[in-house]
Parts: sequence; structure tokens; C-alpha cells
Amino acid sequence: MAPSVSMEGKNNNLLKIDLVLIIGSLATLVFLVGYVNPLVIAPLDNYETSERDILFSIEKAENLIIDDNIDFTTPDEYKIKDGLKISLEPGKYYWKVTGILNSNVKILTIKSEVNLELRKIDDENYGVVNAGNVQLNVDIYNGTEMIDNVRLKVDEEMESQGVKFIGEMG
Amino acid sequence: MKKLVLLLIGIFMISSVYALGVTPGRTTIDFEPGLQKNIGLEVINSGAKDISIILSAQGELAEYITLSSETIFIPANQSKTVNYNINFPESLEPGLRTGKVFIMEIPDSSELGSSAVLATLAVVSQLYVNVLYPGKFATSDMIIYNADEDGEATFVFPVVSHGEFDLTSVRANVDIYNSLNEKVDSFNTNSIEVPSGEKKEIIYKWKADVPIGNYRAAATVIYDDGKINLEKTFSVGAKELELQEINVNDFSLGEIVKLEMLIENKWSEIINDAHIETRIKNEAGDVVSSFDSASYDIESLSKQVFVSYWDTAGVKVGNYDADVSIYYDDKSSKKSLEFQVEENELTIIGLGYVISDSGGESNNLIIILVVVIVLLVLINLLWFFLLRKKLKK
Repeated sequence: MAPSVSMEGKNNNLLKIDLVLIIGSLATLVFLVGYVNPLVIAPLDNYETSERDILFSIEKAENLIIDDNIDFTTPDEYKIKDGLKISLEPGKYYWKVTGILNSNVKILTIKSEVNLELRKIDDENYGVVNAGNVQLNVDIYNGTEMIDNVRLKVDEEMESQGVKFIGEMG
Repeated sequence: MKKLVLLLIGIFMISSVYALGVTPGRTTIDFEPGLQKNIGLEVINSGAKDISIILSAQGELAEYITLSSETIFIPANQSKTVNYNINFPESLEPGLRTGKVFIMEIPDSSELGSSAVLATLAVVSQLYVNVLYPGKFATSDMIIYNADEDGEATFVFPVVSHGEFDLTSVRANVDIYNSLNEKVDSFNTNSIEVPSGEKKEIIYKWKADVPIGNYRAAATVIYDDGKINLEKTFSVGAKELELQEINVNDFSLGEIVKLEMLIENKWSEIINDAHIETRIKNEAGDVVSSFDSASYDIESLSKQVFVSYWDTAGVKVGNYDADVSIYYDDKSSKKSLEFQVEENELTIIGLGYVISDSGGESNNLIIILVVVIVLLVLINLLWFFLLRKKLKK
């Protein structure tokens, strides 16, 4: 009986080592895949903002690929570096990062913002600034009469004698 | 006293700035019969004064828009979310239908006679509704990314299917003409499918095996039931100036340094009045030093040395980011370099070769990954095919 018990104990020990080795190998592989997986800190998936300058904070990846088409047929490609800031027009974008492993496709939306800023220059004149993130058509009224229509680029300022200003995406 | 006056003027100026905004400036949706939907808007008062606003619906879709509240108070430097409901009928005329949510500041009567701003601001958030056409219908455009001589020009045809049925085959035939209106090449793109209401792109990379110059592309986008004719001009060989070299002789920190910048004109015509601006930045990105070259004319397809002088008085030893921008016509091209400044040497990194081995980290990770996987495989092989058998005996 003794040799059989001893053999059984030996087999049990071998099986234990098998188990440790297999689980250890799998755990190491899972850890490695996680370790080389791109780490996207910002922006989050489905991020929405009206800011045009977007800061991308990404680790363990080489390139950022961004397109307004989910098929990435005409993408823009950027080398990832610290403080990578990209200026984007309002719209919906698809982006991913590539490296040893690629990230999944994420969505970023730059919402259009119509914003007019008005300041009094003197008794007759006003300064009107396009403080939004899109080009604007501005209708200028004096009383009920429309006296002018001006196209204002982002951050552009004009002077006017009107008393009512209506801004709309151009 | 002077400071107090300036402060009062500053406070007055801040208080006399009004601002009114709305986001999104446009909401685009696809029409569905009987669709009811709630749409949110953020109305922004970024001015220094509390305001009240009034909302109204305008445009051809106004009758289908219901505003949740018509008058809203927004304190200074705050924003408020407002909602409106759309309640569509069973049908609308095909095409793009538009409506507007009009947001207007209510004038404050208490300010009459004061020196504050009395004008009124209003902003509009547009509602765009795409209504599908019966059958098959497409719109398209042609975008051409210009090529260098012997390079590739990329033709992109974004195709939008506005019909109620999918487009099963969309392709483009393109003829290229030179400035003498002689056909120099033709090509056909591959065919794609575009589902109803979606946008897809046809891409074609054309080998620009033609001399530098301007060309015209005449394209016909052919889809199941129709054709779209498109035409665009484009250039082969960009009207571009390229920084190729920077030479510095006898560098001595603290002195005025002469930089000779070699610029190549890649265009087939002379480019006049080009100049270079150099901005040297510290770690925080602030410009610590800047200098401009004189203006030069560069003959077609030739090179010219631009001379700039940099006064390095006060500049410390270290590494600096430098933006070198060439300005010509209404264009500019910028190159980001690194200036490594030492007492008697200036090394410029980033021209002609890679600034740094940016793939290093990634390569190290690959090496680690491969080494660990190989080790794992060896350990497993060793155990299961050698050690285990030995121990079992």
C-alpha cells in the first residue's frame, strides 16, 4: 500500500505544479496584455464639449488616428506626446490610438456654440465679438429695420451703430 | 490715484460687456413620421449682468416646435438648460427642412438713461431635419488632397444617400486635364454601397505622374439611378516653401548669432516676399526670444538662404523648443525644432532626421513582451516535456 500512497502523493504534487504553472502563465499573459494595452486618460469616450482645443492624454500608444468617418477612410494622424492638443471644428469625430495594441474606437463631439459679446464703445458705437466656436451670420437692426448683415469669424470683432444684433451659425 | 482710476475704468468696462450664447448652435436629426423628441439647449450668459431671455420658434418647422418655457432668468456668468419638444407630422417635403429657436435678451428698462449697454442681443439655435426622398437619391462632393510631383493625389468622394432606399453601387469616373485643357489621365474608382440616410466615402489614390502645375478634375459620380457631375482644380507640387537646413557659425552664448536658413521653393513659379519668424520657447511654452529674417524672393524650384540674427543675451544654457515659420503669400508653414544651447555650441534638432527616437518606449515594451512570452513557453516546455517526466519516474 505504501508505494501506491507515495505515488499518489507524487502525482498530486505534480498536478499542483501543473496547476500553478498553467495559472501563473495565464495570469502573466493577462497582465502583459493589460500592461501593453493603450491607457486613455482623456478625453473619455463619448465626450461632448464646446471647446475646440482638445487635450489628449494617452499612455502606451504611438499614434492617434482621428476622422469624422467611422471607417477612417481619410484620417488625420498625430504622434502621441505629452500635452498633445488638437484643434477641431465642431462636429462628431471617431478616434483610436495605435501602438503594440490598438484601442477601440471612441467618439468625441465638439458642440457648436453660438455666442455674441457686446460692449459699448461710445454713445453711438458698439463692439460685437463672435465669442463662440463657429462662424456667425449677424443681422444688425436699428429699431425694426435690418441695416446690415455681417459674417463674423471666430473671435472676430466688428463695430456697429445698430441696437439689436442677432447671431446665427453661418 | 492713477491705479484707482484704471481700476474703476476696468470695472466699468467689465460691467458694460454683455454676452449671450447657446449650444448647440445647430441640431441635425433625421425625419421619422410622427416623431416626438425632446431637445435640450444650454443658454449661456457669460456677461457680467443678470439677464432675462425670451424664446420663440421660427422658420418652416416652427409649428412643430413647442417650447417648455418662454421667459427665463439667467444670472451673470451662468448658463441654463432649456428644452423644446418637436412633434412631427406623418410627412414632410423631402430634403433639408429647417427651423429656429430664437433666444433674445429682454431689454432692461431700468437702464434707460444710464451709461450701460442698451443694445439687445439675440442668438439662434437651428434645427435641421433631413427628410428622405422617395426612391434613390444621392449627393456628393469631390475633395482632392494635392500631391507632390510623382507622388499621389488623394481623391475623396463623400456620398450621402438621401433616398429611402439603399444605394447598391456608387462609383466615380474621373478625367484629369492640364492647364491647356488636354486630357492627361482618366481613372475609375471602385464601387461602394451606401445605406439609406448614411454617408460613405469613395477614396482613390491617383499617381501624379505629371509635371508640377495646376490641373482640373472632371468627375461623374454614378449611382444606381443617377449621375452627379463634379469639377475641381488642384495642384501637383504644392506652392510650398520648405526649411531644409539651418547653419550657425561661431556660436557664442550672449552674442548676436547669425543663422543661415536654407529654404527650398517647391513650386513652379517664383515666390516673392517670403520671410521667416523664429520663436524660441521655454519649458512652460512661453516665448523667451523671437527674431525675424529679412524678406526674400525665391525663384521657382530653387533654394535660397534666409539670414536671421538672434540676440542670445540673457539666454541660458539648456534645451529650448523653437517654432520656425515661413510666411509667403497668404500662407505659412511651421517647423517645430529643438535648440540645444551650450556656451559655445548651438545644436538644432529636428531637421532632416528624427528629433528623438519616439518609438523607443514602444520598442522596449515589445522586447519585454517577447522576452516574457518566450520565457513562459520555455518554462512550460521544460516542465511538461522534461522535468515532469523525470519526476514521475
